Amino acid sequence: MAPTLPSSDQASDQDNWDNGRLARKRQLLIEIVLRNRLTALVVDGDTTCRVLEQLLLRSYGVQTQGVDNGRDAVALIASGVKFDLIIIDMILPVLNGLEATRQIRDMGVHCKMLGVTICSGESERQAFLAAGVDVFIEKPLDPEHLVPILRELDGQ
Amino acid sequence: MDLAALKTQLKNFVQSMFEEGVLDNQFSQIQALQDSTNPNFVEEVITLFCNDAERIINEINRNLGYQNVDFSNLDSYVHQLKGSSSSIGANRLKLACANLRQASDERNKEGCLQALQLITCEYCLLRRKFQALLHLERSIVELETNQK
Repeated sequence: MAPTLPSSDQASDQDNWDNGRLARKRQLLIEIVLRNRLTALVVDGDTTCRVLEQLLLRSYGVQTQGVDNGRDAVALIASGVKFDLIIIDMILPVLNGLEATRQIRDMGVHCKMLGVTICSGESERQAFLAAGVDVFIEKPLDPEHLVPILRELDGQ
Repeated sequence: MDLAALKTQLKNFVQSMFEEGVLDNQFSQIQALQDSTNPNFVEEVITLFCNDAERIINEINRNLGYQNVDFSNLDSYVHQLKGSSSSIGANRLKLACANLRQASDERNKEGCLQALQLITCEYCLLRRKFQALLHLERSIVELETNQK
């Protein structure tokens, strides 16, 4: 149901619920408007994580693709597909995130890469940054981290 | 029960899950992503998560049943479960995964088995609460549909 402003002085409980939910949504998701059509690749072996990260990006108007292992990510990039943003987990099936990141960078790809992983130790962080990610984020990916990056990519 | 009362019951039920530490703020983000273009998003994500979690817990159980445990394989499963728990906001389950991760790092099979017991308990609790939450959501959708 689309939220509507109350038509009378006394809003119904349902109107209050819907307006409250919309306000909360805006607050939680930090609304931004992108001027450009951005594209992103999400590389995560876990389906729940991958689906959620893709949907979060799509809620901001980012066109996304997802793959579930490092080898497919490298192959996709090698085929010539370009992305403004790559979000990649550290531990991946087939080819791990560190090696996949190195191979992507070795291909001359300079797009923004976010290492989003459950590993939170300093050694993991340093290793991922050394492999070539620009930003290291501990899961879950949230709007507070993502929105400034999207604004930067959008040239805002 | 009328629609407003059902919605209040759902809101209070979710709030109780936050207060018990079963869920954290990440779940609020997921709820916020549900709208008219994704009306069943919360149910779909919960279903996806539960299917994955059960598969992973079964795999961990199977791995720990071997005399020689492949701890690197175990690490990969724990990583997945901790990641998806974190992404859906399953706070207590995420914390339980940390215990298993530590035991696995120490190559401590007995410790892993104990940690797995806790993970299984936390997952069963979470699943029960998610089932109750989805039952309330479906009742709300049914009432809203009937009122149109």
